[in-house]
Amino acid sequence: MTHDFNASPQVDEQETAFSESRRGFLKLAALTGAVVSTASSHALAAGDIGFLAKDLSDDKLTDMYRTILRIRWHERTQADQMLTNPDYRGYNHFYAGQEAVATGVCAALRNDGPFKQIDLVYSSHRPSGHAIAKGVDIPKMVAEMDFRATGMNGGYGAEMHISDPSVGFIGADGMIGPAPVIASGSAFAFRARKSDQVAVVFAGDGNYAAPHFHSTLNNAKMLNLPLIYVCENNLYHQYAHYSYSCPHKDIADAAGAYGIETAIVDGQDVIQVYNAAKAAVDRARAGQGPTFIEAKTYRYYNHWGAPGAKAGELGAFGYDPLAITSFRPEREVRAWMQRDPVDISRKILVDWGVLDDSRAAEIETEIKAEIADAFEWGLSQPLCTPEDGLRHVFAEGTVPARQFG
Amino acid sequence: MVQKSWMYSVLEAVHYEMKQDPAMTWIFELTPPVASTPGKPVINLETEFGRERVVNTGIDENWMASAVLGAGLAGSKSATYIPYQGALMPLQVIQNVAGKLRHKTGGLAEMPVVWIIEMTGQTPGFGQQHSCYEEDSYYMHIPGVRTVIPSTPYDAKGMMHAALRSPDPVVYLYPAGLRTLTEEVPDEPYEVPLDKAAVRMEGNDLTIVSSGAGMPGVLEAAEVLTGEGMSVEVIDLRCLKEMDTDTIVTSVAKTKRLLTVDQSYYTLAPGAEVIARAAENVEGARFKRVAFPDAPPPASPEMFTWMRPNAEGIAGAARALV
Repeated sequence: MTHDFNASPQVDEQETAFSESRRGFLKLAALTGAVVSTASSHALAAGDIGFLAKDLSDDKLTDMYRTILRIRWHERTQADQMLTNPDYRGYNHFYAGQEAVATGVCAALRNDGPFKQIDLVYSSHRPSGHAIAKGVDIPKMVAEMDFRATGMNGGYGAEMHISDPSVGFIGADGMIGPAPVIASGSAFAFRARKSDQVAVVFAGDGNYAAPHFHSTLNNAKMLNLPLIYVCENNLYHQYAHYSYSCPHKDIADAAGAYGIETAIVDGQDVIQVYNAAKAAVDRARAGQGPTFIEAKTYRYYNHWGAPGAKAGELGAFGYDPLAITSFRPEREVRAWMQRDPVDISRKILVDWGVLDDSRAAEIETEIKAEIADAFEWGLSQPLCTPEDGLRHVFAEGTVPARQFG
Repeated sequence: MVQKSWMYSVLEAVHYEMKQDPAMTWIFELTPPVASTPGKPVINLETEFGRERVVNTGIDENWMASAVLGAGLAGSKSATYIPYQGALMPLQVIQNVAGKLRHKTGGLAEMPVVWIIEMTGQTPGFGQQHSCYEEDSYYMHIPGVRTVIPSTPYDAKGMMHAALRSPDPVVYLYPAGLRTLTEEVPDEPYEVPLDKAAVRMEGNDLTIVSSGAGMPGVLEAAEVLTGEGMSVEVIDLRCLKEMDTDTIVTSVAKTKRLLTVDQSYYTLAPGAEVIARAAENVEGARFKRVAFPDAPPPASPEMFTWMRPNAEGIAGAARALV
């Protein structure tokens, strides 16, 4: 089910138009999405028609639209807090622009039920979208990100470490590398205990260069594990374009070399992502092993925080002071924003007669209010008690204070 | 002399050594080797020496750490800057290869390599994986590798020269919280030895020993205590391996009271080794330790800032000891 959307002739013309190869690659990547939507040279394939998603109920499709909006308005509201509220201390590695990936994947998973039956998601240091799509309590997540005692993790973890196992969200990991390998261990346990659960890991393009990437795929294939590796290729790891660390245009090519089933999808289109994820989940549950999904996507904000963003406006533009030698051209950001996952999902649902424009707008208003309430609740929660820092080191008790001699 | 920032001082040393030695290489992943300071030219190793010698890699600290070792074994002086996110990824190659290589080759292996390993521990809010300050204990335990931790821009430059010229592999710990420090630093190359502690203040009532990011709080506390009439001797370890036992013992023999201060976890923090060496060599001394509790650093600033040793806690511990 590999969907090669660099096969279109338009792409080759674009590629030859740029003399310096990395530059061309970069621009090509920015154009990739547009090419997908206009290419008509290939037959209808998995990604282009409703396929698996067309059988979903109107309610399920509408829920996916709601999830995309929840992520989007969480990110926008938090960015505005960071930019306008001097008392707000939270931060994020913003997920805006990538909403369709988390939403499409998690819509194909089992998210409700006893812990030993639901599917598990391992996230990255860019976790808010994955968390929301997996079904965490958003007000508690908002509280956690602002270090509140009643937050999802009691204020201990904050953004890079959010976790809620009760919905199968094993959680974020601030490090590049370990999560995929650990996720393969969960998949190993599922197979060993004859469960039909699947383990999903979301990791960025930067993970490719880490040895963990290769260890994960090799072992997942060797042991035929029910693992879905979702590579969110948003083109940048930290501040560097992925061409600095990966020789492949499609990272899925590397996964293919391990003998793993691969799919490349337009990460801005939730239906395409869902189709690939559903097929992968079905294969994993049937004992047919791992799948590697590369979602071509883009983040609207810089690597970390909100430099370059303005309150009330979506996205961050211009020079990121943290980037120094490698930064994103503003036109690249704007080109990707033309293929916005919120707009695309809305248009599909309207085209399919699931919603009309006014109902779609109403839903967005409802979600905005829901997120505003989540922030109001989260930011009114109590701060942590300093001494509690000595708890949760071991299952029981506290460790001694040592900072006073 | 010009006031220079920490990173400018370090890169000035690296820049000089790279100009002297066309074989020398530098590997980085997140932190470009760029620094500026008012009144001085911008240093940019990548643009000056080119991408053959100065490499921006993927997020793969194992490769970075191993590659500089391989470069060193091939006869090229080599250094890498490992940001704090990956500060212990190189542990295996440093602990189980580099540290044992000279010994197991009967002295044949030459390793003119430096791993600059960033430590944090300063920023409230980032939590467990981005606020930890613990690498000193891990790396100082390894035989065969010199582990140093300068705490001033002057020492940072001089120890970088010494590290790059040393035939031994060097773990050069860089507490990122000190990046805001500036001081007068000579333009000329100079070396600060890789095995000598520095006495920062002389006194008779109490010895305080610390290192790296612990030093600013210690110096602040020492000033307060001096104002209260206490005569405080402050030692900056600078070198964790090999540790300068003489300077510690000489001081504690005089003061008979030793307070150690670490931002690292209490168990096996550098101060534990300092106290052990003093106890072995000085009769009748009294000891106390200030350190981060044996808990990962929490994200909540309320919890974190309470747990991190500060000047007030250090001064309180000093008063209790004297």
